[in-house]
Formats: sequence, C-alpha cells, structure tokens
Amino acid sequence: MGVTILHQFPMLENRTGPQTIEFLTKRIVALGAVQMGQFLVDCDSYISMPSLGPQRTVHVLHNSEQPASVFSILETNTKTIPLVADGLFDLLMLKMTPIYTKKVAKIESKGPRFELADFCIKLGSVTISQNFKGVLVEVEYRPCVVPSNCVGLMREFLQGFLGSCVQSLPACLQNKMDEVYQPMDTIQQYLDHFLNFRKMAGYSG
Amino acid sequence: MENLYAALTSVKVLRCSVGQIFNSLANGIRADHGEEGRDTKFLSEIEELLNAVTHHLRDVEQAVNNLSQPPGPLTLGNTNFLSQECTQERQALYSQLVLSYKWTDKIHEYSNHAAALLSQNSLKRSYMNPGSAKRRRTQTSSHNVSPQAVDTVISAIDRQFNDMTMSISRPFATNAVLQVSLGRVLQAVIAFKGLMIEWVVVKGYGEAFDLWTDSRHKVFRKITENSHAAMLHFYSPTLPELAVRSFMTWFHSYITLFSEPCKKCGSHLHCALPPTWRDLRTLEPFHEECKL
Ligand SMILES: [Zn+2]
Repeated sequence: MGVTILHQFPMLENRTGPQTIEFLTKRIVALGAVQMGQFLVDCDSYISMPSLGPQRTVHVLHNSEQPASVFSILETNTKTIPLVADGLFDLLMLKMTPIYTKKVAKIESKGPRFELADFCIKLGSVTISQNFKGVLVEVEYRPCVVPSNCVGLMREFLQGFLGSCVQSLPACLQNKMDEVYQPMDTIQQYLDHFLNFRKMAGYSG
Repeated sequence: MENLYAALTSVKVLRCSVGQIFNSLANGIRADHGEEGRDTKFLSEIEELLNAVTHHLRDVEQAVNNLSQPPGPLTLGNTNFLSQECTQERQALYSQLVLSYKWTDKIHEYSNHAAALLSQNSLKRSYMNPGSAKRRRTQTSSHNVSPQAVDTVISAIDRQFNDMTMSISRPFATNAVLQVSLGRVLQAVIAFKGLMIEWVVVKGYGEAFDLWTDSRHKVFRKITENSHAAMLHFYSPTLPELAVRSFMTWFHSYITLFSEPCKKCGSHLHCALPPTWRDLRTLEPFHEECKL
C-alpha cells in the first residue's frame, strides 16, 4: 500500500453533504479520474468497565480496502496500542462485553472511490448513526511507500483539487516520515478525524 | 499495364467529380454565395462542375481507347482450378485469395520500408559484419565474458552507490540476472547476456522480483520503457563495462523519483505522473511531456 493522506474538506454554509461530494466528484473527474466502486471505513468504540481500574478504550475499525483485516487501537492513559487481526476479532469483542461495553455510536465514512493513474481518491461522507457530520477526502499514492519521499508531490496533488485549504501533513505521519507506510497508518488518521467529529458532536470517548 | 492504371485513375477522377455535383446540388444555395445574385452564382457553379464532368468523361473515353485487348485468356495460375470447385461453400475462395494476396503485397511493402529505416539506425546490438573473418576475430564480444568478470564489474558498481543494493543470481546457466533495490523507491530486475544488458523490468518497492510481469503501477511501467531506451543508448560493444556503469549511474538518479520536481515546468506532477524521464547526460528529471 502507498502513502495516504486524509484531509477534512471544509463545509460551506450553503452546501449540503451530498452537494459537496458531487462538487468534488466533478473536480476529480475533470482531472481524468475514473470511478472504481465504493468504500467504507467504520469505527466502533468500546469502553472498559469502571470497576476494572483506570478507563481504557478500544476502537475497532474496518476498512473496505483491507476487507480481511480488523484494526483495533487500545487507548490507555499512557499509551496507545495498535493491533491488526483477522475477522474473528469482531466475534471476540462480542465475548468481551463483561469487560468492554459499547457506549458510543458507530461512526463511519463512506462514498465513491476513484482512480487516477497511480492515485486512489476516496470521497467520504462522515456519519454518526446516520447523521451527516462532514467530508473526509482520502488520497493514496500507491507507488510510493515512504512519506518523506513524496510529501511535495502529495501536497501538490491535494492542492490541485482541494485548493489552498491543504497546508500541513497529518500529525500522526509527522514522526514516522521515514518509515514504510502501513495500512494501520491510514486507520490512525481516520481515528484521529473520527474522534474529532465525535468531540464536536458532543460524544465522549 | 500503364494504360490500365491510367484508365482506372481517370474513372476514379470522373466518379469524384460526379460526386461533387450531387454534393453541391444537395446542399443547394449556401451562405458563401452571398446575397446578391446568388441564383446565378449557384447556376454558374453547377455549370462549371458539369463542364469538369464532361472533361473527365472525355479523359475516360480516351484512356479506354488506349487499352488493348488482352492477348488470349488471362493466366490465373493455379487459381484457374478454383472454377472447377463444385462445393458451394468454397466458391467464394477466389475473393479471399485476392484479399490475402493484397495483404502479402502490403506486408512486403511495409517491411521494405522498415528494413530501410532500421538499416540507418545505429542501435545494432551484435556484430553482423559480412566482411572479412580476420576483422571479426579482433573484436572483443560483450556476450562472451566469464561470470567472474561480470561479478567483478557489478560488485564494483555496487560499492559505488550505497543506497542501491544489488544481488546476482544465475537462473539461466551462466548469464546473470541482477536484482536492484534503489532505496525504498523502486526495484528492478536486469537480465544480462555476458556484459550486455538485455532486459530491464522496473517495479515498485515490495512487488515481486520477476522478469515476466509488468508493474502494477503506471509510473514504473513508464520507467521500464525509459530504461529500455537508456539501455540501448548506453550500449557500446567495444566498452561493455562502461556501458553497464553508465546505465547504472543513470538508473541510480531515479532515487529522487518522487521527491524531485521536473526541471522544466517546476512541478511534481504532470498528467498525475511524476517526472519519469532522466536526462541521459545531466541526469536531470523531466516529465515525459517536458523533456524536449
Ligand atoms: Zn514537467
């Protein structure tokens, strides 16, 4: 998998979610991109029972790009532990209800997926239990696996079709610029944005 | 034969001019006839065209008069026997034969052109001097080099670049196949024949090392193409070592494939591709469209 950058596209007052997606679709198609199916990234969060000491949260995410994997990120006060497992992990979480309860509504990003030469572009509408919250644009440059190699190129591409709202790189990439990019890095970016959306919507966790 | 061709051409010309008449009749009066006296203008145009037709008809008649009766029946060779064919479905064979004859004729013509072009081209990769045997003996062939010599050359190049790792394998008897990893940017498989670079395939980091499949990514397929051009450019039968070293130096410049913008237009992307060309002398990056 190649270096991926997730970017939140600012919403305008007079535009609805579907209109924003349509607007971006038009732009990306004008550049020569071809739609190749749909995508979905979802996230469930489980919170540990208060009786078991300091609170921990497990975020369980799925990405349609890696359909056989389940990604989970365990957050404690001091550190976060990422884990990639196969589909059975979902069943395991069901068995864990005495320890981890699900309190927070599911959040997901889904929409059309485009390909343009070696780029893969995904325009996602973010919803929390079916309520529209915003637009996340994911751009993957598949030939390149090391972020520091293609920062300039990615920024040029993003600015090319999103405009000057693209400035800095995602925070979670900044301290691993010279490492080989992993699917988990995309998940981490989605989680960061999802938690932000939740915070704005007034959910805890 | 000459007369026949002339007659056929004049028939063609006649048909053209008749077609033109019908064309302008169907179009009627056009805007370019203007406002004033457009009827007369249109009529005079038609008249002119009709004159041309009569003129061309005269040409046809003249050409037909020039034709001579073919002496005796036409000899069609073996195709004569086709008329004796009694199965219904094979009677259409003649037209097919004519068609394939035309094809072979065309192929002959095209290959003549191709041969003429190729013979001007200096990209010959082997000695084919039909001349004296004496000269041939003195030439060092880059095909017949001992595996040890190849290993020495390659390991010397390997030491020269510390961000390019190479490993040699010999799956096809004595000829080396070189696997090159250029940083974490790309990988390549290079097949040698002696010290001559025979084939290059460029792939992405993490893609399978093999000689037979193309890369999944457009950018590396493009670079494979460009490497082929470079391998032919650097090829030198008299200095095979230098050829390999120059090629590898050129190839090493792809280490900045994703990070260095195009020297001409200054941007990273053109048609969603990074600068996939490296100048053969200066090693500067250019987009495919910017290199000229
Ligand atoms: Zn350029």
